[in-house]
Amino acid sequence: MNADAPSSREIYSESYTQRIWRHFWSDSFARNGLRTIIALFFIAALAPFLANSHALVRVDDGQVSLPIFQSLEAIEWRFLLYVPLAAVVYFLRGRFVIRPGLSFLGVVAVVAAIEIVLAVTHPVNDPTNDRDRPASFKLMPLIPYAPVESTPDQFAPPSWKHLCGTDSTGRDIAARMLHGARTSLSIGFIAQSIALLVGVSLGGFAGYYRGWFDIGVCRFIEIMDCFPTLLLILAVIGLFPAQNNMFYIMAVIGLTSWTGLARLVRGEFLRLGSQPFPQAARALGAGDFRVITRHLLPNALGPILVSATFGVASAILLESSLSFLGFGMQAPTPSWGDILSDARRYIDFAWWLAFFPGLAILITLVSYNFVGEGLRDAVDPRLKVK
Amino acid sequence: MSSLLNVEDLRIQFGPPDDPVKAVDGISFAMNAGETLAVVGESGSGKSVTALALTRLLASPPARYVSGKIEFEGRDVLGLPENQLRQLRGKQIAYIFQEPGSSLNPVFTIGFQIREAIELHRPEVRDVTAEIVSALDRVGIREPEKRLNDYPHQLSGGMQQRVMIAMALACQPKLLVADEPTTALDVTIQKQIMDLLKELKRTSHMSILLITHNFGLVADFADRVVVMFRGHIVEAGATVEVLRNPQHAYTRALIECVPKLGQKQHRLKVIDYAGIE
Repeated sequence: MNADAPSSREIYSESYTQRIWRHFWSDSFARNGLRTIIALFFIAALAPFLANSHALVRVDDGQVSLPIFQSLEAIEWRFLLYVPLAAVVYFLRGRFVIRPGLSFLGVVAVVAAIEIVLAVTHPVNDPTNDRDRPASFKLMPLIPYAPVESTPDQFAPPSWKHLCGTDSTGRDIAARMLHGARTSLSIGFIAQSIALLVGVSLGGFAGYYRGWFDIGVCRFIEIMDCFPTLLLILAVIGLFPAQNNMFYIMAVIGLTSWTGLARLVRGEFLRLGSQPFPQAARALGAGDFRVITRHLLPNALGPILVSATFGVASAILLESSLSFLGFGMQAPTPSWGDILSDARRYIDFAWWLAFFPGLAILITLVSYNFVGEGLRDAVDPRLKVK
Repeated sequence: MSSLLNVEDLRIQFGPPDDPVKAVDGISFAMNAGETLAVVGESGSGKSVTALALTRLLASPPARYVSGKIEFEGRDVLGLPENQLRQLRGKQIAYIFQEPGSSLNPVFTIGFQIREAIELHRPEVRDVTAEIVSALDRVGIREPEKRLNDYPHQLSGGMQQRVMIAMALACQPKLLVADEPTTALDVTIQKQIMDLLKELKRTSHMSILLITHNFGLVADFADRVVVMFRGHIVEAGATVEVLRNPQHAYTRALIECVPKLGQKQHRLKVIDYAGIE
């Protein structure tokens, strides 16, 4: 090599993930979609502090008490540890652009996301509240109602007292939506992750190995697709009954909605597998696992991600259909779908019952779609101008 | 004398066992270290199947290795387990394929793909980036420090084939199998790639197995030549001998297919199969 060649340290060579992240972040739709999703998850996580009938702080005759904190369950406490940590990561991300250390923080974020799921608790109707009890000083949450609390105002339209109105039993819709975000967001996310895992692995193996495994998977998909999804879910719930367990609902939705993804991945793998580059990789000594994960999957990622983001949407809606039929999350646990299906009976005069949860679902879906499309563009270098 | 590669009575078939397509039907040849052997034949003569079979790259099924033996440095390739085959592929026997554009993974930079080859087979290399730069430099790519962040679609066909060669050479293989390396390229680029291969052969002491249908490429490149026709070897020998004095009618027909400079012709010659059989 010639003497004035730059040393390897000077050659800026970014990793695959770094490049994807850079291009993802340069797309304003994707960036804001991701920000919205993160914000929604934060709101969901902080729901007990944003909407609660108890005061954050109250002072009675010089005696200070923290009613909300006293009513928190252990799992919420554990979750609280992640909020400042995630906030620190978020605000420092500009400073440590993207370093290998960030993958560690990514793991922390994933653990935090799992904790959000765990933090879904079933609110108990607590007749006492700090709203009406006088105190020398009290700081109420933004929305001073609990999601399960019935007030005397039934069908109150949106006002300063009830930001999103109330329903037939006088429950505050804003409070229910904040708490319902926990259910809906985590069901959409986890159920679709399960579907993604099952669909990509089954479809991928079928498309890669072909032969008998492929035939078996395809016939299985066809059998699954013969049943209308909702009936299939009801059958599964009928076979293995469990009451009001969110993981159960997630698993059922995830395990019944992977077929479309599996078929998509299989098709992509069949198409890519007949191109020369997977064989070139094998000729270089790459094993099946490496060919699948490093060569086929990145090339198939675009359609998978777009399909998966739509899947999040349909999982949220599926959960609402289930709650409507009485098989989803049971009252009093709120979910967006639950509020929405409640609205159907009163849609002619109580528009706010359908409008606000519908808007929340719409914002979530649009954000997920922006993120999905941004990721698709980021993984495909041919679509890029820069 | 121990040869580098020894193929004996290799038979490979496709399709139903009772009515098989005999892609390779009992061929035998040997290669010594440092030697360049050309396998010449038309489409469907079994030359590419032979090349892929050398490291058992042909999946079975659909292919069936009916009989025969492939020995590389005394080891029986067809009997090796998958994990040892992976050590053989790339590290001992490397390939360059016909279409460089689609043989490179479209979503990764070329630097990343060469890095993968080095990390697979030469974990002892510490400064991988420097190794990638020198690999690209060796195959005549200018400004390799900048090019390694390029994607395959940003390069021309000739450059892509140079990258494929750089990837193949990065693991310092003992045998390079070039499966029609210039077929998808235009004539001037063909010349450049063949000159590069010649240069690399001279400097790196590796053996090259060149698969081609073009006798024009063979003349000043290969030491020996094997002519394949419908799964059989019809003629083998030193390149000079075969070119000067072809024994088999098919070899003569193939040689005549290469148009000669200064010769007036209205139509190019085609092979007259009736005269061969």
